[in-house]
Amino acid sequence: MEIHPSYPVLASLVEKYPAYRGSLFQTYNDILLAQQWRDVGVLDLGDVCRRGAIQGRRPKTAANADALLHIVPCSLAESISLAWINDVFVALGDPPSIYLAVASDDSSIVYYKLSSGIVKPSV
Amino acid sequence: MKDRIPIRIANKRAYIWDVDDLMKIRSEHHMCGLLVGTLPHLSQQNVFLGIPSQLMPEEAALLVEKELAIFIDDTNAYPEPSLSQFKKWNDQQRQYIKHQQTILESDNIKPPEVAQRAMSEEAIRKRKERELKRQQKAQELKKLEEQARDASEQSVFVPAVDDAVSPSSRPDTPSISAPASYNISITAPSSSLDWYSPDSVSFSTIEAAKEAGIWDFPSDLHDRARYGVFKDLWEQGFFMGGGIRFGGDYLVYPGDPLRYHSHFCATVIESPTHAINPMEIVAHGRLGTATKKTHLFCGWHDQKKKVSYLSIEWAGFG
Repeated sequence: MEIHPSYPVLASLVEKYPAYRGSLFQTYNDILLAQQWRDVGVLDLGDVCRRGAIQGRRPKTAANADALLHIVPCSLAESISLAWINDVFVALGDPPSIYLAVASDDSSIVYYKLSSGIVKPSV
Repeated sequence: MKDRIPIRIANKRAYIWDVDDLMKIRSEHHMCGLLVGTLPHLSQQNVFLGIPSQLMPEEAALLVEKELAIFIDDTNAYPEPSLSQFKKWNDQQRQYIKHQQTILESDNIKPPEVAQRAMSEEAIRKRKERELKRQQKAQELKKLEEQARDASEQSVFVPAVDDAVSPSSRPDTPSISAPASYNISITAPSSSLDWYSPDSVSFSTIEAAKEAGIWDFPSDLHDRARYGVFKDLWEQGFFMGGGIRFGGDYLVYPGDPLRYHSHFCATVIESPTHAINPMEIVAHGRLGTATKKTHLFCGWHDQKKKVSYLSIEWAGFG
């Protein structure tokens, strides 16, 4: 991990929250290199959530491409709760929605959009 | 109390037996219940269901809490009838049987105009024609049979005429022996019986019904969470149905389920700290996307008695 070109950006968060280094590293690389997001950066979610998050904008071709979106990585094996998700929303300044990146050991990764409140499905 | 809808409790389940009550619950209080009554003669079928309608425990409890309905302990609402009540009932039954018999007898006598028609000249002529045709056909067939018999005597390879097709062995067309139409009277609901007395076993609050031992929802944290979520969604105007088809606790409809598709499938989560496996988010989220439904995680906060919602959708990438 340390010799990967992405490492310098992630170094401080990886050292601060070693338990979540795997999912953060995997998600950051997927968003930057596979999904080709723009203005990709990392954030520290602070003492309550104790992990790093990613922000960025979707590729120019996507709908509503200029919105700054937040991605929170987690591992398929961990156990989360509604309280934790709520803390993440608070730490990110209460955006209408966040993306949860679920990373598995075999490096496959899925993204789910979590919106607070009752939000109708987009058609 | 009088204008409240009676919810009949049997075995701690809530039933609505009156169609008008059912309509009122649906149109005014936007709850659906579930029809569970089958036909007496086809009790195994579950395609055409009728009354009673079974309410979800949440629906029944909420109707009572909102003072729109009362619980009635149905088992104990029918005390032993008095002698005079029983006599009256017995007389009515006898009268009814007599009534049926007179109807049956009057049905068996043919009305005079039908009898006359059978004897009119036109009818006699037609009958004769038919008889003639029948005889001609029988003769032709006889000839054919004879020819066939001759042929089979000449050669063993010609099959004999099958007896089954010959007209003599064919059964006669059944005469008009089909049963005549019946009158089926549907008995009045048992609440119309003289000795029906629900007043002493009616309960206008959930607590009273619980004390009487006929009702126990909501009883624990899980029930309170379900009830809290149901109530909160109901108060926002949604219709709720069972969520089993989509793996949730409720399906949430923006209006009557007969008119709208559901927009949400809801899962009740008992507390904010209740563990959620990320795999659940993936499974619910992807199914919801495939069925055009957002999955709702409805978190119950038992101390604050509040519900918080989280809507889950596939992100559209990855």
